[in-house]
Amino acid sequence: MRAQFRSRIRLILSLVVLVAALILIRLYFVQIVNGDDYAQKADRQFSSGGSGLFDRGSIYFTRKDGTFISAATLATGFLVAVNPQTLADPEVAYRAITAVASSSSVAVFSYDAFLAAAAKKGQAYIEVAHHLSDEEGKALAAQNVPGVQVLRERWRYYPGDSLAAQSIGIVSYGSGDALVGQTGLEATYDGALSRSGDSLYKNFFAELFSNVGNLLVNAKDAREGDVVTTIEPEVQTRLENDLAKVTKRYSSKESGGIIMDPATGEILALASYPSYNGNDLHSVDPSVLGNPLVEHVHEFGSIMKPLTMTSGLDAGVITPETTYNDTGCITVNTARICNWDLKPRGVIPMQQIILQSLNVGASWIATELGQDKFREYFTALFGQKTGIDLPNEGRSLLGNLSKPQQVGYDTASFGQGIAITPVQMIRALGAIANGGVMVEPHLVRAVRLNSGIERTIDWSATTPVFSATAARETTTMMTALVDQKLEGGKAIIPTMSVAAKTGTAQLTDGHGGYYTNRFFHSFTGFFPSYNPRFIILLYTNDPQGVEYASETLDATFLDLVHFLIDYYQVPPDRGLATSTSSG
Amino acid sequence: MVSLCTSAVAVLLVAYIGLIAVVMSYAALTVEFSQSVRNDEAAVASLESAYLAGVARVTDTDYVAAGYAKPVATTFIRAQSSTALR
Repeated sequence: MRAQFRSRIRLILSLVVLVAALILIRLYFVQIVNGDDYAQKADRQFSSGGSGLFDRGSIYFTRKDGTFISAATLATGFLVAVNPQTLADPEVAYRAITAVASSSSVAVFSYDAFLAAAAKKGQAYIEVAHHLSDEEGKALAAQNVPGVQVLRERWRYYPGDSLAAQSIGIVSYGSGDALVGQTGLEATYDGALSRSGDSLYKNFFAELFSNVGNLLVNAKDAREGDVVTTIEPEVQTRLENDLAKVTKRYSSKESGGIIMDPATGEILALASYPSYNGNDLHSVDPSVLGNPLVEHVHEFGSIMKPLTMTSGLDAGVITPETTYNDTGCITVNTARICNWDLKPRGVIPMQQIILQSLNVGASWIATELGQDKFREYFTALFGQKTGIDLPNEGRSLLGNLSKPQQVGYDTASFGQGIAITPVQMIRALGAIANGGVMVEPHLVRAVRLNSGIERTIDWSATTPVFSATAARETTTMMTALVDQKLEGGKAIIPTMSVAAKTGTAQLTDGHGGYYTNRFFHSFTGFFPSYNPRFIILLYTNDPQGVEYASETLDATFLDLVHFLIDYYQVPPDRGLATSTSSG
Repeated sequence: MVSLCTSAVAVLLVAYIGLIAVVMSYAALTVEFSQSVRNDEAAVASLESAYLAGVARVTDTDYVAAGYAKPVATTFIRAQSSTALR
């Protein structure tokens, strides 16, 4: 009896142990082996039906005081899906959805498209509205409309709308089924911004058993993070606003501008107009999605003259006191090169080439330099890409400098016949501002990793092109232009030296020639002249009703200079006890 | 012996149930925390959007249309010391 009782007890105990073992094995498979799948399923009960919630790192602007403002982040809300098989009354459902989805950011199916979706009885899940706010989603869910599901959703959001849109870029579906960065910094830094989707959904205990190494030192934490740009939002806003005004006022095809620290290559603002709103891509012209300041090349005109001048000074073929006889027009290889007003100046010093923007003078320097030296300088300035952290950077077109005809060198000396990207141009002009040394223009300062470490990106590589003396001598000429010539001398700022140069280039007609009545206007300048904190490059393409850049871009340049002096409280670099400038 | 085994099984069972409860609570809290972080981020983004819109509005202000006149002349003077000790 006792033995029988024991054997029964053992049998029951074995069964209990067996069941416990089975449960433990099952639990092991549920929580550890298939844990991620179940976590995803759980998420989907409160998120979209297609995939887990979208996750991606942020991109930040950096204000002048060092605080971050999101340029690209994530918005959280709801999407609405219908099940045509259980949707009793499509009209009632549509009215309920449109009644709550009132905000402009909500993308809802049109009435006809909704009815067409509701008629697809073979399907059980069709998304009909996106980007509902929390309040809108909860209000709709509370109505319990049969056949209507309200599901959690997360999407990419750009708080500045169109602010720096072409630099920040967009995300969209590429060849796969995941959202990836397609343009701008979203594309360049996609590796740091993209997320594998489980960073906040880790099961500590499962990780403890299955992946102790990753729990302590996660490789993804050393790669994934947020991107910190050098773009200052208020400077960027000012530049964009000014460019829009110029473009509209002169009916230009497009305008662009860059504001950079010439000593470090940090770009504070980079903008072109027209642009687009990153939060509303439905009606965007695809041609504006790229970044023309990096991808497109232009013949910049006379803002090239300071580079020709500095090359001549650096090579020692001229000094600031050197003179030449300006005849107004010259003939080179059967081509006629003239000053903008066709007038001769007689025997004049080098500074007048910059002050009066004389093509004959620039050609004279190119001839003095010789083809080999000229090619050497311009290849050093423009022969390579800048390495800026934006995709699809264009290459300059320097073909004329590979030919033996002198006319190609002469026209290049005043910015015609060779084509450069705006970012290459500001990098080269930055060498004059930076003691003859070119820096690496860039938009991102650091990546803030998920591990908490801030990985600063090294942009310290420099390329010496000119001597500091040659750069300073050209700076003096450009400063004299602002003090004496710009707006008839009225643009002078008594307490601040500003160096600048205007440029007007004829546009190519696409058949090997140039239009005589269509122009590309450019403007560059930096200040304080002898220890610059900012260099500015502006251009407007094909403005109507004006011929010279001094008419279109003077006001924009000066507005930016005064804004930057005020905003950054740049201390005077020269000055008078009291000085007055007519407004 | 039997009572020892029964006790052991009971202890294991209780521990197991407790472990399940902890894991479930932890998972629930993690999801809740994650959603809370995202909601806060969205709220911050909304504030940032309002700030950037404000900057754009101020930048676009036409001061002449708003009744301000351009100064006839600008006088540049040396900045006064802004320290409290004068």
